[in-house]
Amino acid sequence: MTAETRTDLTEDQRDALQEIANIGMGQAGSLIGKIWGEFVNLSIPRIAHLDRQSIPAALTRLVGDHSVNAVRQAFHGSIRGEVVVVFSGGRDDELRELMGYEEADSVEEQELLLDVANILVGACLGGIAETLKAEIGFSAPSVMGLDISPALLIRPDELNSGRALFLEVRFTLEKKSLASHLVVLMPEDEFFVLGQALDTFLASI
Amino acid sequence: MTMPVAPPTELLAFTVDRIEVGVFAVDRDFRIVLWNRFMATHSKRSVADVVGRNLFECFPELQQKWLERKINSVFVLKNYAFTSWEQRPFLFRFHHNRPITGGVDAMRQNCTLLPLKNASGEVELVCFTLADFTDTAMYQGCLNDAIVELEQEKSAQQILIKKLEDAQGQLLQSEKMASVGQLAAGVAHEINNPIGFINSNLGSLKTNVEDLLAVIAAYERADTVLAGHPDLLGAIKMAKTAADLDFLQSDMQSLISESLEGVHRVKKIVENLKDFSRIDNAEWHYANLESGLESTLNIVWNELKYKTEVKKEYAGLPEIECIGSQLNQVFMNLMINAAHAIAERGVITLRTGFDESSVWVEVEDTGSGIKPEHLKRIFEPFFTTKPVGKGTGLGLSLAYGIVQRHHGALDVKSKPGEGSVFRVTLPRKRVIEDVGGGVGP
Repeated sequence: MTAETRTDLTEDQRDALQEIANIGMGQAGSLIGKIWGEFVNLSIPRIAHLDRQSIPAALTRLVGDHSVNAVRQAFHGSIRGEVVVVFSGGRDDELRELMGYEEADSVEEQELLLDVANILVGACLGGIAETLKAEIGFSAPSVMGLDISPALLIRPDELNSGRALFLEVRFTLEKKSLASHLVVLMPEDEFFVLGQALDTFLASI
Repeated sequence: MTMPVAPPTELLAFTVDRIEVGVFAVDRDFRIVLWNRFMATHSKRSVADVVGRNLFECFPELQQKWLERKINSVFVLKNYAFTSWEQRPFLFRFHHNRPITGGVDAMRQNCTLLPLKNASGEVELVCFTLADFTDTAMYQGCLNDAIVELEQEKSAQQILIKKLEDAQGQLLQSEKMASVGQLAAGVAHEINNPIGFINSNLGSLKTNVEDLLAVIAAYERADTVLAGHPDLLGAIKMAKTAADLDFLQSDMQSLISESLEGVHRVKKIVENLKDFSRIDNAEWHYANLESGLESTLNIVWNELKYKTEVKKEYAGLPEIECIGSQLNQVFMNLMINAAHAIAERGVITLRTGFDESSVWVEVEDTGSGIKPEHLKRIFEPFFTTKPVGKGTGLGLSLAYGIVQRHHGALDVKSKPGEGSVFRVTLPRKRVIEDVGGGVGP
């Protein structure tokens, strides 16, 4: 127990991360607006430390108990983790239009989800990483599940990390039905690195 | 700690040019600024041909609007973007690396779009890397085929398991029927003995009573002699009146003959039961199906007698080699079904016929008939339209199994509202099965 509590971010660090996330989401919103020409609503990010057993329940609480499509994408560099994008609304034709698919293009629904998720993840994480002065890259996104219960997206017994940092943002588009949740998950052994980066940030202001 | 020495620029340029991955870059106007050897080789467009020109001009087959947005998002977000062969088999239609062995129509590609930033952190170029995933795609294809095959095998096994379960159900039912038959035969045997002596005693009693009555009649002739003894005569008369002798005489005889009639009926039922179950005869033997029909009819008579008239149109069947007790079960199921199909009153016709190779037995009813959508399913185990408790759904499947074992056929014709005809057709000579064959229907 003591080891786990010690690895959690301190209150100062958490406040700093909250602040950075708020700024990051603001930037992300305007960037996405530039790309899609749509006004984006982003919720204030919520940060929590979660034991792995409580992650499925947290996901269900976030997105509601109905079946969803989900995409995951890893980020790596000076900090690393995974992002899960859960789509709980959004019509195919609207997404196609956003991504610039022509009427005649044949497109797999999965590619559409991957493309949209890549933009959301890139915008949000990019903002946070830039503020933190962390250099990060992304690996290709992949589909986690289609038409699946959110509780089944992440199986606690398959997680390597006992505890995770959970940063959640909700997206909606002003004029389209797209609604999604973006959940950043960072493993326990990254808490220290992140904490250091946050300390550096705190020292610089 | 010393910084690693940066590799010379020529080495980097050489690596980018020669690496077995497509590398090219475009600026904000989608002009090509870098085009490595992999791209040149596979697109058959040289560096001189494309550098400085618009990507979509050079390759009009690209999906311009979509790709422009994708590239733009990298410029704006300073972010990576991807395409994967699984969703988008390729960006450029290149020949695959299997000119001889073949397998796919074009090279499968995974692409990554990288932001190339300048010193002030702005994205100046978007660099594409394009990796050949044809081999992976082909392996994946093989895997998918194997999975499909496995799934098919699995569902075939599922069907087999279902069939096995059905067969087990039939087996259970026939086992049950066999033990009921055995029980019936045992009871029949036990009843046979007491019925035997009751029958013979009643026979003796009948003669005895007749003799006794003859004696009384002889005594009555002495009435005139007794006229001189009025007190004696009076006492006799009173006793006669009290016993109602005239009635007694006629009643005693009819009581005995009715009892004898009853005993004969019991004997008949016992015989039918033994005949029906034939534990002594569960093997192939020559039997007359019409007498089988008769004994079965006697067994189920109680089910039929109140609402049906039974007509018999027998053709005088020759004996055939069969397992008689099993066929009796078939007839019983058909007769009971016929009775159940008749709601109020109706006619059941038992009809037989034969030719040189086969014999047939028909059970026809004027009942409710079978709906066309049910016709295909009536021989399935556990299929029943009868209310809970009235039918197990096993009767016809059992009958079907038995007829199959005789290498015969069980056919049905039915019209809803008019009635049904079930016909059992059997070969006159037993068909001997191959060794190892004949496991269930």
